[in-house]
Amino acid sequence: MARSMESFEGVALTTPVTIGYERTSSHSAHWFAGKALARLIEAAGIVKADVDGLAMSSFTLQPDTAVAMTAYLGLSPRWLEHVPMGGASGVVTLRRAARAIQAGDAEIVACIAADTNQPGAFKDLVADFSSFSRDAVYPYGAAGPNAVFAMITRCYMDQFGITREDFGRLCVAQRQNALANPHALLRKPMTLDDYLKARPVAEPLHLLDCVMPCAGAEAFLVMSTDRAKSLGLPHATVKSVVERHNAFPDDPVPTRGGWAMERERLYEQAGLGPKDMDFVETYDDYPVIALMQLEDLGFCKKGEGAAFLRETDLTVGGDLPHNTCGGQLSAGQAGAAGGYLGLVEAIRQLTGQAAGVAVDGARFGLVSGYGMVIYDRCLCTGAAILGRGEA
Amino acid sequence: MTDKALPPAFRTALWRHVTEGAREGELRFQTCLQCGQVQYPPREVCGRCLADDLEWRPVEGMAKVLSKTRLHASLEPWFRDRLPVEVALVQLDEGPVAYVFAEQGVDVGNRVRVSARLDEADVAVLWASPR
Repeated sequence: MARSMESFEGVALTTPVTIGYERTSSHSAHWFAGKALARLIEAAGIVKADVDGLAMSSFTLQPDTAVAMTAYLGLSPRWLEHVPMGGASGVVTLRRAARAIQAGDAEIVACIAADTNQPGAFKDLVADFSSFSRDAVYPYGAAGPNAVFAMITRCYMDQFGITREDFGRLCVAQRQNALANPHALLRKPMTLDDYLKARPVAEPLHLLDCVMPCAGAEAFLVMSTDRAKSLGLPHATVKSVVERHNAFPDDPVPTRGGWAMERERLYEQAGLGPKDMDFVETYDDYPVIALMQLEDLGFCKKGEGAAFLRETDLTVGGDLPHNTCGGQLSAGQAGAAGGYLGLVEAIRQLTGQAAGVAVDGARFGLVSGYGMVIYDRCLCTGAAILGRGEA
Repeated sequence: MTDKALPPAFRTALWRHVTEGAREGELRFQTCLQCGQVQYPPREVCGRCLADDLEWRPVEGMAKVLSKTRLHASLEPWFRDRLPVEVALVQLDEGPVAYVFAEQGVDVGNRVRVSARLDEADVAVLWASPR
């Protein structure tokens, strides 16, 4: 039996921050990161020198990394991390930062994901996203992640009897959740009919299955619960975090992800199960991936997603509030900040700071991440269970 | 427009082996001389046993279609002029999974033959044809 993970006790997540979103921006990712850091400091009532840890995630900082950002932002941290894991960045960063706090390697870690979206830049990012993509994906129609996820979606539909209507229910519920979120770019009510009639992009994917690339930042602070209390900051606690990379590499089409490998460890460490979750934030680059997480994390059995989506109200106030701020499908995908979106929203929900609609009396929430499409799937997966901290 | 659009030609240095194969009418994949693994996309080490003893060998190209999409949007002008474009995901009998252009009549579940052909940029791309 492998050694069990040490507890994450004593770690607090505070000051959820969102900057943007904008469809395109002439600002650099650095600007978004700077705005986010300023907001974190202001919200926490600290000074910049109190921040002695920095973690950054971005696709558009080139030629810079977190290293250059210390000089750019005038920080001298004693703990520094660059997490280039796209949609898994939030959960993975949280795990790294929590351990740094527990070990005493840092006292206040600023975790920032920031990306800009300048016209035309998305093509360059996609064309050279990975060596495998350069040789063996991009030349086949240059459709970016849409082609990869069209393949997975088609396979899922064929294998598990899921229809476009089923995916549409998930998307419509998320849009309902987005209506009150001031940060969401897409806040127009959406019907199932709107979803079904959207133009095809990469069949079976249509326009409303795809996230809108945009510019923005998401950020939070990690510190000890003692520090959070002394600063008077409402905070979320960390019950459990797992990650797994390149899970099930021999599956010819990835209809499951690393969550299926790590689920048991996740719930065991938290001492909680799926039924204890008051809300769930999945990584929703495409609805099939959100559903895959709900299955692999035990909210329904693999292959029973269709029935689950027909029977379950996923809106805030429903059976299982899911992607409570509307997710990326409504907010937009601000690069790596998309990998922070669910986590920042979960901290809001657990600290009584919901930007949109609050999940009544939420005590526990699950956040999962999925990032970096290297060939025919994303390789990074992670999940965290968070709780409401005592004031 | 003065610049004539071409298919995207940017590849890693290893892709020239596939292009050379296409020029000689062969589909060539890397075979590991240590463990026998056939791998794709190309790498400089074997993804199974980590040996760097890899040889580009012709494969027959028989494959099964796992999934398929019809693209209605592309980031490249070359494809935008030719939409919709059909792309399939196939698994070769030797094991590797590949994205390929799908000829008419190629559908999910079919057995197909995969070949490497030179495109207008003189670079190899993979195609699936009905058996």
